Order: sequence, then C-alpha cells, then structure tokens
Amino acid sequence: MIQILIQGFLLSGLYALIAVGFTLIFSVGRVLNLAYGAYLMLGGYAYFYTVQQLGVPKLPGFVIAVATGALAGLAMYQFLVKRLKGDHVAVEISTLILAVVIQAAIVLLFNESSKILLPIVDGVWRVGSASVTNNILTAMVASWFILGGLMLFVKRTHLGRAIQAVSMDAKGAMISGINTDRINLTTWAISGALGATAGVFFASYTQLNPSMWVSPLIIAVAVVIVGGIGSIVGSLIVAHIIGFMEIITSSLIAAELRGVFTMLLIIGVLVLRPQGLFGRGDL
Amino acid sequence: MARLLELDEVFKRFGGIVATNGLTFHVEQGESLALIGPNGAGKTTIFSLVMGEIRQNSGTIRLAGEEISQLATHKRIQRGIARTYQVPRPFADMDVAGNIRVGMMPDSLRAMLFQGPDPAAELEIARSVGFREADLSRTPSTLSMGDLRKLELARTLATRPKIMLLDEVFAGLTVGEIAQISELLAQKRKEGMTFVIVSHDLRALEPLVDRAVAMTFGKQIAEGTFQQVMGDAQVRAAYLGQ
Amino acid sequence: MGALVTKRQLALWLLFAVVMLALPQFVSNGTLRIIIFANFLAIFAMSWDFLSGKTGYISFGHPFLIGIGAYATAILSYRFGVPIAASIPLAVLATMIGGTLFFLPALRIKGTYFALVTLAFMELMYQLVQVIRPDLTGGTRGMSGIKTLLSGAQPNFYFSFLLMFSIAFSLWLLSRTRLGTALDAISMNEEAVSGSGLNTTKLKLFAFMVSAATAGIGGAFYVHYLGSIAPRALFDINFVFTIIVSALIGGASTIIGPMFGAFFMTFLLEYLRPVLPGSERYLVYGLIALVLYVYQPKGIHRIIEDLRKGMGGRGKGAADGKAA
Repeated sequence: MIQILIQGFLLSGLYALIAVGFTLIFSVGRVLNLAYGAYLMLGGYAYFYTVQQLGVPKLPGFVIAVATGALAGLAMYQFLVKRLKGDHVAVEISTLILAVVIQAAIVLLFNESSKILLPIVDGVWRVGSASVTNNILTAMVASWFILGGLMLFVKRTHLGRAIQAVSMDAKGAMISGINTDRINLTTWAISGALGATAGVFFASYTQLNPSMWVSPLIIAVAVVIVGGIGSIVGSLIVAHIIGFMEIITSSLIAAELRGVFTMLLIIGVLVLRPQGLFGRGDL
Repeated sequence: MARLLELDEVFKRFGGIVATNGLTFHVEQGESLALIGPNGAGKTTIFSLVMGEIRQNSGTIRLAGEEISQLATHKRIQRGIARTYQVPRPFADMDVAGNIRVGMMPDSLRAMLFQGPDPAAELEIARSVGFREADLSRTPSTLSMGDLRKLELARTLATRPKIMLLDEVFAGLTVGEIAQISELLAQKRKEGMTFVIVSHDLRALEPLVDRAVAMTFGKQIAEGTFQQVMGDAQVRAAYLGQ
Repeated sequence: MGALVTKRQLALWLLFAVVMLALPQFVSNGTLRIIIFANFLAIFAMSWDFLSGKTGYISFGHPFLIGIGAYATAILSYRFGVPIAASIPLAVLATMIGGTLFFLPALRIKGTYFALVTLAFMELMYQLVQVIRPDLTGGTRGMSGIKTLLSGAQPNFYFSFLLMFSIAFSLWLLSRTRLGTALDAISMNEEAVSGSGLNTTKLKLFAFMVSAATAGIGGAFYVHYLGSIAPRALFDINFVFTIIVSALIGGASTIIGPMFGAFFMTFLLEYLRPVLPGSERYLVYGLIALVLYVYQPKGIHRIIEDLRKGMGGRGKGAADGKAA
C-alpha cells in the first residue's frame, strides 16, 4: 500500500514534468506539437552522449541536454510552425512527420538498440519497507520546483505575463504592442528545454531507445486534454490521476494494462467533455 | 396573410449572459422584416436559433404553423429556411458552380450517387444573382466581397427556401455592390420571397423592408414600420445613444 | 450512374491497368514484391483518404481499422479453421463495426481532438490485443503460419494489383459523384453543408463505412499474403506515418493522389536502400515528405495541376497558389 502511494507520487511527479512543456505550447499557440516527445528523446540522448560517452561531468551534461531541447524548440518554430501559421492540422501532421524524422536521425547516430542511462543522482532512499531511488525522487522534486517556478515566471515576470496575454488573446496582445512572434519563439524554446529536462529523468527512469518519444507524448496529450487548456493546476491533478491509475493497474491488475486507463481517459473525456475537466473550453 | 415564421417566448442564455430574453415576433408570408439593434443585441443569435445551429433554453419556433424548434438544421433547411452569414464562408476549394451544386443537392444518398448534377439549373441560379456563365468556374479566392455575397445568396437560393435570413448582407461592400445586391433582393421580394434582414446600413435597409423589429440586450423594444421604429425614443437611445 | 467521368479519364485508367498487368514480363520478381507492398499501402492510403482527405476528419489511428480486419480473418482461419472465403467477408464486416465505433466521436468533436481520439483508439487496441485472450491473438508475438491465398511473386502481384485497381477505380468513381462533392464540402465548411439541407451525420457515416470496409479488405488480404501478423508492426505510429504521408504527398481527397503517393513512397524507400542501408533511410524519406508537405500541403497532385495551369496562364496559377 505504502509502496503504491510512494510510487504513485513519484510517477505522477515525472508525468507532470513531462506534460508541462506540452501544456505551455498548447495554451499559447493552441497547437499540438506532436514532435514534443522528440524533445524528451533529444534531451535523453544528448545527456547520454555527453556524460556517458564523452565523459563530461553530469551538471554540464545536463545543461547541454536542456540547451539541445531549447534549440530544437527554436528551430521547430522558426522553420516549421511559423510557416504553417493558422493551420493547426497542418502543424500536427508536420510535427508528427518531424518526430519520425528525428527518430530516424537518432537511429542513424546511435543505432536502434536500447541504451541504459545511469541514474543522475545515485543512492536509494528507504521509508519503512518501501524504497525508492534518489534518482526518481530528484525527478519529482525537480518537477515540483519547475512547475512552481513556471507559475511564478508566468505570473510575476514581464515576459511571463506577455506569454499569458498571448495565450488568452493573441490578437489583443499584438495590438497592445507585444511582439507575438518573439513570444511564440520564446515559448517554443522554453517548451523544448522543459521537454529535454523531463527527457533526461524519463530516460533514467526507463531507458533510451529511438521510439521512446511515443509514450510520453501520449501522457502529455492526456494531461493537456483531460486537464483542460491553460490550466497548470488542472494538469497537475490529471498527472496524478494518470500516474496513480498506472501504478494501481500495473501492481493490482496486470502490468501490460498500465496504459489502457490513460487511453480510455483520453477517449472518454474528449468525447464527453471536450473542454477538459478543469480548463476553459476552446475548440 | 398567414404567418410564415413565428418566435414565441424564445429564451437563450450563454453561461451567465442572456442572449434572447423571451423574444416573441413573427414574419408574414411574403413580408420583409428588418431586425435592428446595437452590436450584441442578439440578432445573430436569433438566426442561429431559427436555423437550429444552437438550441433555445425555452420557447418555440414555428414555420408555417409547424413547430420546428427541436429539428436538426438540415431538416429546417428542407422545410424552407435559409441563412447567410456576416462573413461569407464558401466552400473554398470549389468553383462557383460547385458551391451552387452543394446547395442544390437532395438529402438522399441514392440520389447523390446515381443522379448527376444539373448544370443548366446551376447556371440559372448563378444568373439569377448576377453571375455570368464565365464566372461558374471561378474559385472563391478570386472573387470580390460583393461576388462572395452573391455566391452565398446563390448557394442558399439553391435550397429553394421560403424564407431567407440575411445577416449583415451589405457589410464590406462598395456602393456599387450594395446597389447590385439591393436590386437583387428587391427582385426576389417581388417574386414573393420572405425575408428577415439584419443590417447596420439603415439607408440600404429601409427600401427593402415592410416592417421592423428593434431589440437590445435580447429584448424587443419596438415594432412597427421602419419609420415608426426608427422614431421610437427607446430605439434612438439604445441604438444611437441619443 | 451519376459520376462525372470523361472518356479520356477512362482511357487513362485502362492504360494504367494494361501497363501494370504487362509489368511482370519486364521486371524482376524482386521489383514485383515491392509493387505488391505498394499495392497494399495504396489500399490503406486510399481508405485513409476517403475518410480524412475527403471529410477533413483526420485519422491518426487508421491501423485500428486495418488491424480489426487483419486480426479477425487471422483468428477465424488460423484458430477456428474457417475457410478464407468466409473469414475475409466476416473480417470486413467486423471492420465496419469497428468503423462505427470510430465514428461515434466524430459526432461531437473534430479537428485535432478527433485525430487524438483515433490515436488513442490505436494505442488502446495495441495494448488490449497483447493482453486479452493471447491464446487467440498470439499476444505480443502475434501469429504466423496463417494460410496464404497464393504463392509466388507473379500471382500475388496480379492479385494485389487487381484488388487495388478495383478499389481505386470504385473509390474514384464514388468521389466523382455528387456524394463525393458533398464529402469534400464537409472538410471545407461543415456548417454550410447542413445549411444546404444535407444530413452531415449520414454523409460522414457513409464515408466512415466505405473507409472502414476498404481498410478491412486491405488488412484481411494483407494478412493472407504475409502469412503472419504482429501487434508491434501493425499498431505502430510509423505505420500511421507511412499511410498519412503517402496520402498527403500524393494529394489528399483525390484518391488517385494517395494511390500514386503510395507507389512513390514505396519506391523512394526502396531506392534509398543501396544508399542508406538499414532504417536510416526513414530520415531522408521523412525529410522529403516534410519538405513536400510544407511546400504544398495539397500534395503532388496539386503541384502537377498548378504546373499545368501555369503553362496555360501564369496569373491564375499564381492566384490559386496564394489561396492555398
């Protein structure tokens, strides 16, 4: 029981971290970036390459991984999304194609086999009979800090408020003198950086392989769809619902069924309540 | 004269906002009615309610004495209602003939599969709104605003309506285009078409209508001839801020 | 028949069939095997196109439908010894029932949200197939040793081509009727289609059923060609990618476009093989698809049309390009 509780919180924390960058793009640009999972993959592989193959210390390796994600976000916006402006379906299709392209690039560079990412933080933490790795514990703590930081950033800083303004009303923001193009670019970079951060933790929790982008993407989609647009708290709640349901299904029913609940949740909520459980609706 | 369209105590709210507040009015067969009021008065909401694009919270809508307020949009169209929009949104990748063709289609899979289109009838409808034969193959992206309005009229006329709801039919048009559309509507009126027209262009509107209903905040505030309604103190206060 | 068809178009179809049927005299069995694959991909791409290209309801989960057809006939024939002549029609029927399931969300949601629901359908199927009754589905490993219809490259080539050709021709005819026009109109402005007095639910259901039946036929015959089935390869986002890219590169909503798109993509992949061995060629493949898509979202079909128009009168072609 206590094991389920602890694991549930840890996994949910990781999922919240995975989803946050995706939510950010969805609330600002109202587009689904289906290449979001690729940021996680890029982050994971960048960390793997610098730390485990080049022998760079962990912290600079981590920074390089995050920078890779940010760069990928910048490039995606500048060369792809901006050109398809207004056509959401085109953005989704082209980012889906892009994700497959990145997957192929990863295969080209690192081949198809799975790689083990060593824990970013070593050690194990014991609570009574249950034990958790410090690695995943760090992921959860990092996730809470990042989410908190992001909320402060959006509410308190000038740039954050500009992002919020664009997310509420892009035209209005533009008229008020906000350079929406630069805001979009910034948001995509932040989203990439967040994705890559999540990727390093996610990869150390599971493993690295060229198709690792699919399942976090689906989790991110579920969190955004079910939580509702632009609701950070909603995303957090849903990340916990999904995280706990996965742990409960896999430890009490069958490990193979862990993702089934997530799918049913996506289908159910989209069909019955397209505006999400917590957010303002906007189709 | 018989009442063609009747709204009875129609009430519609969006969240906390009351869009139409127990609205009651009717349009006679062959009559042309102006619906006037400031922005946000609920005029477009009425059109959407009559079309069945949104549903009223309470009240009834009748067409030729038959209640239609629970019917799906396409069923209402089949019974003779048609509507145009403030911003025309034609089928963008289809030419003028194709747009009219969709309007003419019968709602029967069998007929759509086994009977071809009727180019002669398409041309006739196109001509009736002032297009020439050469215009049939033009795509909407090459049309002017005036032509887009004409195209929308053509597509709705193709459904053989008894009553047409026209939303801001003069918006965005040049003086010449307004004259053209006015002439067209006057012609249709002569042929016996029933109209409900929303427009901010009162000068263009006046000669086209028999009667007017003024509303603000979802409530009817005046009804009568165009002059009577425009002379009403409440209307002037609501509409012109006087 | 209510389809708008010219003699010239029919002649082109005939020419296409004649050329393809003569092909085994000139090319190797290896090439024929590639074309067999292209034929099946073309069926899947056209199935996708009739639903998503026409009505604008983008399916990211088409393997869900293909999988129902494939698994149904595989299980019936392999586990229960049902003859193929009965198992395939049953499988197609099952796919159409699955298509109804697919259709329900389309009553309420569209655009991105619909696409995501279909993706979730596919992932759900992927996970359930492995867990529920693995004694029937073969679980994670799938099934092999399923009865094949024909053996040898040439018979399979003729058969798959004729199958593909008859589907392509029928769908093309369908899309030339007024019904096809109405489905196209749904993707452009669904409200105006209801506003023209047409029951869009009925129209969409028709498109879903035709698409599902096509996917079911393709999936069922494909299994009896391969002789095996595995969930990983089937319910795979890369498979979705291949289908969608074929359809889009060829030109959505044109039926012919996706057919040639499937051939184009299959041969591109094949000709990249000597240059880039291994799965890296997906990189080049994907990049070409991406550049083409961003350059002209309406596909090669439109590029060719624009070029043809461009020769006739430059001004008009330029104006159209701008609008697109």
